[in-house]
Amino acid sequence: MTAAATSTLETAETVDVPVLDFVSAIPGFPAHRRFVLVRVTEEGVLFALTAVDDPELRFLAVPPAPFFPDYAPEIDDESMAALGIRSTQDVQNLLTLVVVTAGETAGSSTANLMAPIIVNQKNQRAIQLVLSGSGYPIHAVLMPR
Amino acid sequence: MLVLTRRPGESIMIGDDVVVTVLDVRGDVVRVGIKAPRSVQVHREEVYRELQKANLDAASPSEHAVEVLSEMLRSGGGPSGQ
Repeated sequence: MTAAATSTLETAETVDVPVLDFVSAIPGFPAHRRFVLVRVTEEGVLFALTAVDDPELRFLAVPPAPFFPDYAPEIDDESMAALGIRSTQDVQNLLTLVVVTAGETAGSSTANLMAPIIVNQKNQRAIQLVLSGSGYPIHAVLMPR
Repeated sequence: MLVLTRRPGESIMIGDDVVVTVLDVRGDVVRVGIKAPRSVQVHREEVYRELQKANLDAASPSEHAVEVLSEMLRSGGGPSGQ
């Protein structure tokens, strides 16, 4: 874990590398609950989520706002509680990311708007929300605006 | 597969803390209520399978794909103010 984290971050302090703790497993990966969140490039919006106990397992993610400005996932009370959000003030600690499926060519990458990753930056708890019935697509084309 | 017969209002326990209750039966539609701890995710199977597949497809992209994507996000401007 530290190897993967430090090689990506180089000079940054390892203590600042957030390790996310998924309150329930990401569907498809029941054995992995802890992921390191780092930026792929210094100036970009691309993040990588790397499994603490398996550095080979990595997801790409982006904040949705620059790409999908109208995107407003609704977080149910159960998920809010699981993330440790108790007041409306706590809500500002939430970070939303959407998982990206990287295509081999520009323009073929997609973002999963149906199941965003919500992070409570205060306690590093995370969850992959499942917005079934929301109409949000699981593969939305990711294009810079 | 275990098969049980239940009437509306009756429940099934799964383990110590999951309760599945048959709420209502109308024609070929059955409404089911599920009480489970927060650590247990409950989803319609087809939704879960679709998400599982999407996650598996998204996992561990090739270095090439990562480069293409970060290049596209960089040159495309990304968020305003960058």
